[in-house]
Amino acid sequence: MKKSIHLALAVSGVLTLAACASSGSGSGSSSGPVGLVQVAAYTGDQAFEAQFADSIDFPALYAVNKAGGILGRQVSLIQMDTRSDPADALLAMDKTLATNSDVSGILGPDSTSAATLVPLLNSKKLPMMIAAGEAAYDRSAYSYLWRDVPPDPANGEAIALWAKRQGYTRVATVFGTDPGSQGDLPGVVTGVKAVGISLVDQENLTPDQPSYRSAAQRLLAAKPQAIITESDGPTAATFFGELTQLGSIVPIIGTSGTPSTSYFTPLRGAIGDANFNKYFRAVVVGNPVANPAVPAFNAAVLAVQGKLAKPVSQWENNSFSESGYDAVIVLALAMDAAKSTDGSVYNTYIMQVTAPGPGKQVVYTYAAGMAALAAGHQIQYIGASGPILFNAFHNSFGAQAVEEFPANAPAVVVGTISQAAVQALNG
Amino acid sequence: MGELAVQAIGFGIVTAALIAIGAMGFTLQFGLTNVLNISYGGVMTAGAFAALIAEEWHLPVAIAVVFAIATGALLTWLLGRTLFAFYARRGAGLFEMVMVTLAVSLILQYGIDAAAREQIYRFSFPQGTSLHWGWFTVTVTQLALVAVAAAVFAGIEMLLRRTRLGKALRAMADQPRLARTCGIPTGKIVNVVWLISGALAGLTGLAYVINSLTIDASVGTEFLPLVLAAAILGRAGSTRGAVLAALLLGLVTEEVSALGGAAYATVAGFGILAIVLATRPAALAGQAAAKPEITV
Repeated sequence: MKKSIHLALAVSGVLTLAACASSGSGSGSSSGPVGLVQVAAYTGDQAFEAQFADSIDFPALYAVNKAGGILGRQVSLIQMDTRSDPADALLAMDKTLATNSDVSGILGPDSTSAATLVPLLNSKKLPMMIAAGEAAYDRSAYSYLWRDVPPDPANGEAIALWAKRQGYTRVATVFGTDPGSQGDLPGVVTGVKAVGISLVDQENLTPDQPSYRSAAQRLLAAKPQAIITESDGPTAATFFGELTQLGSIVPIIGTSGTPSTSYFTPLRGAIGDANFNKYFRAVVVGNPVANPAVPAFNAAVLAVQGKLAKPVSQWENNSFSESGYDAVIVLALAMDAAKSTDGSVYNTYIMQVTAPGPGKQVVYTYAAGMAALAAGHQIQYIGASGPILFNAFHNSFGAQAVEEFPANAPAVVVGTISQAAVQALNG
Repeated sequence: MGELAVQAIGFGIVTAALIAIGAMGFTLQFGLTNVLNISYGGVMTAGAFAALIAEEWHLPVAIAVVFAIATGALLTWLLGRTLFAFYARRGAGLFEMVMVTLAVSLILQYGIDAAAREQIYRFSFPQGTSLHWGWFTVTVTQLALVAVAAAVFAGIEMLLRRTRLGKALRAMADQPRLARTCGIPTGKIVNVVWLISGALAGLTGLAYVINSLTIDASVGTEFLPLVLAAAILGRAGSTRGAVLAALLLGLVTEEVSALGGAAYATVAGFGILAIVLATRPAALAGQAAAKPEITV
């Protein structure tokens, strides 16, 4: 019995020490590097996220550290692998927070892990810049949750508006059945109905099958004028390759989840470069109007190009990467403004460094923002993705760009869908 | 609706051809060695990547086919005669051997993934023109895939039924100990089976990426469940059964895709497998119980 009591005391002592060690995760330590945790799928079936995360993290950290870091401390990146699984993500986050005392902010979670990680991170008072588009976060009560990308329905609705603008009256959807590809589908469906376009066929594809010929044939029989799509690259290549073999290809409009080499390379191979250049467009999140933050972002991308997936041109002017990059800069500037890396302190400053206001100095780079704050000014950071105007629920999204993608060259903006137009669609 | 259903028959035959080539190689090897070789998927991937290398070097299509077949055959033979034989000599049972092949499968997949720098590649195999016969539409290459599957089936049937090697192989599959006692050169037979099985794995990998037009390190492991399903459904060791099962799976998946939705196609295929195993459970278990000995 005595031995059992000693053992119980020893175990409880160890647990108490562990709890003490992990309790610092919400406050960040006061010396050493400032830790930012990137939550992404580095392995598993969503591992394509990793190259997107890299295209955000490395340029942003380069920009912040080159300017002197946060409050004189360099920023370190902690890559946390969700393994494409929400349960694995929770375990990984527990381990990350228990073994890193310098965590001050979170880049993520993604769609896969948000449901399990957001409540935990919020309770730890860790500001998080989520990359999950789920509508559940449109009006969330999580005070440490921030999102500078549109919710999934907004992208789908922008696509519907673009289709309407092109004069299409009959469209079809082709989406992968994996969770990462399904997010935009509800917005597309409601959007096309709202603008008066007929949705003549809906194909949901189980990824990585050897053939989708029957689905392709059924889609052709419905005679759509355009196809709205999101899936992984190999699935898209098989489907659209077979569609091309069976009949004539029609314009394809991709969601903001499609622009990446892992999507473009197989699709180009399947339908041919000429068809790809002629027919493929994507409606992407981000700022279609150039401002001084854009060249700063592109310069940072080029400075760290050795760490990014090739070709590096895919990341220049990449709207998704720009939004993520801006999220890091905003967190860093909020910490500078609050003079603290403690999440519970600097969280309210996130709104302060992004909102417009009289007398505020507009800045487009981290270095300029840091200098202005040091000089005692209040600032509004306008990023490579445009102005970041958080609402009461910490959501911000601006205009969306319609882009085409020449081979081995940066994307070209061919149209714009304003936030007002999307909001008008929702009444 | 009727037109789609008829068209799906043609698509089903093409899909069945892909599955059948892999299932014949798998079932031939499983029937003889009793090793449920999960690494078969990894070998398919290796064969496909070998063909990709030939394509990157701008070699003729025929050389790409040879690359895929030779890579599959050599890799499988090497694994069978070294690694699997090693574990069999150390007394590994059926389940332990499955775990060994699973480990090899993962090593192959992630090894290829690392070598391929975790990228997805396009596979630009000429598809030929689209041919239209009534409601049927098929490309010349797809027609060739069906012809290849038919030729492989005919070749294996001829080997098994008309040659001394085939008779010896069937004898070994039925009664390995008795076959050895009768002086059948079992080592030589096993060598031949590993080589044929591997060659068909390589060919399946190539056929898959010709059809899907893309290649990454997971193509073989993703396709393996359908191949396994056909092999099991057709009764392990029976190439005729494997071909019939492949045809059933191909037709069911494409018909469900055409009439019900692509998302349900694979589920329907495995639903058929579940029903058949429920009504005829001896398809797999019967074989293993009757001949629990591993022959590698």
